[in-house]
Amino acid sequence: MAGNTSRVASLASLRLPIESHVLQAFVSEAIKPFISCVVTFGAGHFYISQSDKGGLVFGGDIDGYNSYAQRGNLPMVEDVCQSGMALMPALGRVRVLRSWGGIMDMTMDGSPIIDRAPLEGLYINAGWCYGGFKATPASGYCFAHLLARGEPHETARAYRLDRFATGHLLDEKGQGPQPNLH
Amino acid sequence: MRIPCPFCGERDLSEFSYLGDAGYRRPELGSENIEEFYETVYLRDNPAGPHEELWYHAFGCRSWLIVTRDTRTHEILAARLSKQAALA
Repeated sequence: MAGNTSRVASLASLRLPIESHVLQAFVSEAIKPFISCVVTFGAGHFYISQSDKGGLVFGGDIDGYNSYAQRGNLPMVEDVCQSGMALMPALGRVRVLRSWGGIMDMTMDGSPIIDRAPLEGLYINAGWCYGGFKATPASGYCFAHLLARGEPHETARAYRLDRFATGHLLDEKGQGPQPNLH
Repeated sequence: MRIPCPFCGERDLSEFSYLGDAGYRRPELGSENIEEFYETVYLRDNPAGPHEELWYHAFGCRSWLIVTRDTRTHEILAARLSKQAALA
């Protein structure tokens, strides 16, 4: 239930270290072949690729406030376009065709959770922040391993739900304990 | 989104920064109850609907506000100074 994990968990009376945030994405008008791969820009937090139809598909940070509205606001549109210009100044004359917003389950440390829930028989694979779609094959593999064998897959051992209580956070950039810092 | 600051009036979102759910309470000074700190720092109700949240008017009066906003529509239902809310 991407974006709605807290609402599903509340049906089992669970509170999770997750906030739902809006992440915007953008598509430009179609242009000739320009980018042959996905380019990510860590310094400004921006990604871009080109679709088969020629449109550039790009995005950046979350808006940074709790939202289930599936639409964002203009300050982040400006921020994403600025990051794009910093990386590829040639983008400046390309026109944006459309944009949309999706809901992200943002954990407090910016990393996902693949673990047993405190209730018997309930398992959690959630909090994928920006990366849920791309990570689906690998996260599904690790989740299946947990379900079938009752123990975490070795690559997902650290994605514990109790890491927030024990202090074993996976805050890769050292940003802090708040979704809009990630 | 525009936020009606009680001191400055209605201002653009870009003047504010967001902290999160205003409902959290710090454990008592000197508390050694780790569970309470865990709940304060990490656990959130994350409701779809009216949400009381803390916003800082960084490029305005530099006040902390408690804003009630519907997370499904971004409609702002109320905004008050957190200082006044604390004294009330």
